[in-house]
Amino acid sequence: SCRISSDGKPATFQPPPKPVIIDKQKQGLQRRFLSPEFIPPRGRTDPLKFFIERRDMIQRRKVFNIPEFYVGHILAVTTANPYASEKASRFVGICIQRGGKGLGATFVLRNVIEDQGVEICYELYSPRIQAIEVLKLEKRLDDNLMYLRDALPEYSTFDVNMKPVSHLEHEEIPVNKLQVRMKPKPWSKRWERPKYNIKGIKFELPEEKMKEAQKWSKPWLEFDMLREYDTSKIEEKIWREVSEALKK
Amino acid sequence: MMPIWTKSGKKHAVTLLKVQDCHVLKYISKEESGGRTPQLLVGGKNASPFSKSESAMEIFKEAGVPRKQKISTFNVTDDAIIKPGTPLYAAHFRPGQFVDVTAKTIGKGFQGVMKRWGFKGQPASHGQTKTHRRPGAISTNKAAKVYRGKKMPGKMGNIYRTSFGLKVWRINTKHDIIYVNGSVPGHKNCLVKVRDSKLPSCKDCNKNPPFPTFFADGDEELPEDLYDDEVFQFTDPSVTYA
Repeated sequence: SCRISSDGKPATFQPPPKPVIIDKQKQGLQRRFLSPEFIPPRGRTDPLKFFIERRDMIQRRKVFNIPEFYVGHILAVTTANPYASEKASRFVGICIQRGGKGLGATFVLRNVIEDQGVEICYELYSPRIQAIEVLKLEKRLDDNLMYLRDALPEYSTFDVNMKPVSHLEHEEIPVNKLQVRMKPKPWSKRWERPKYNIKGIKFELPEEKMKEAQKWSKPWLEFDMLREYDTSKIEEKIWREVSEALKK
Repeated sequence: MMPIWTKSGKKHAVTLLKVQDCHVLKYISKEESGGRTPQLLVGGKNASPFSKSESAMEIFKEAGVPRKQKISTFNVTDDAIIKPGTPLYAAHFRPGQFVDVTAKTIGKGFQGVMKRWGFKGQPASHGQTKTHRRPGAISTNKAAKVYRGKKMPGKMGNIYRTSFGLKVWRINTKHDIIYVNGSVPGHKNCLVKVRDSKLPSCKDCNKNPPFPTFFADGDEELPEDLYDDEVFQFTDPSVTYA
């Protein structure tokens, strides 16, 4: 028996709607990442120096893969060590800072091993580094996680034998909005002051202390035109140069 | 300045020096100069010919070369004399050679005795009246005078100084850049005089240099980058200790 619709006519065959295919690979290519050490600092140096340095950096990247990573990622680095038993030592840690420009670019990894906090500063382009693996991709709310030194040690402990967490290429890198709890004061730096502009700490200080810290705020700094350094055009140019050179 | 790594994994800091439009300007014979060896005048970076008098421009006109910003004299042996007007390139130097670099230091202006000569000054507290960065005593009682050359405040910097025995790690022949070990006196983009080292320990370090100089129109075809034997080149894989 066929179903009679409200109109009284017999139901005709409705073909199913056509599937919409979203090509996620093409969407992912739209995200361009340029490592921050390629952007030249503001100064009176000859641009030829940066060009020659970039050529060396690209040459190193062709031979040795330096993955895309931000502050807050958990990395495992194997370096050549003449004093180790297998001539190679592996260190796992969270990246708390990326500094330096050009060939001397560095990143600091932090981990707590057997209740002792350890920080190691590696040079990205050093020939002694044998492998850099990204174990967990996750951005944090700040660019500089130096406050982890004054946070409770549980926030800096990471398992040395952690397995790499899989991450699809086209997806956005997730931002971990973790608010870290701190050890009691005194800290190595006064992190509550607006100069550091930290969003990733859960301040359990009384209201008066937070108000007193705001006394050191400099609201005129964001309007200072001499401090502006617009890197968007420079970044575009360098990104095109680097991606073309790496494709060859 | 840039880092450079050796094949054993050690890092050294390196200064980049660019050889920009260098020409030989004049040959001065031993009798003319009054010294022990003949001399060659070499000019550096090009500059505009309009701000100097005609008499100063004579040297450049004779050599057939635009006006140069820096002119320096080099004491040369008889067999190393070059015809005025020949261009000089970075390939004149080779990696593994040792070099002396002379330049005017960064000018600091009028400076006090603590910054200029490294005096210790006086304590900040414990009763010091208006005396924290002063030189203190300048002579003894018996001398009854102040000796010539007494270290006192004055203009600091902006004088010629040389760093000796700097090793050349790498040479870029396309852009004429010399990579020299360590730091060099002078500010960024300043004019500098580079000369073969006269240290006695570096006498035998120069093996087969281009003599008298590297001629660009000659038969020699050099690769774009010349490296010292110990330098880690970025085309090689990472360093391992066996």
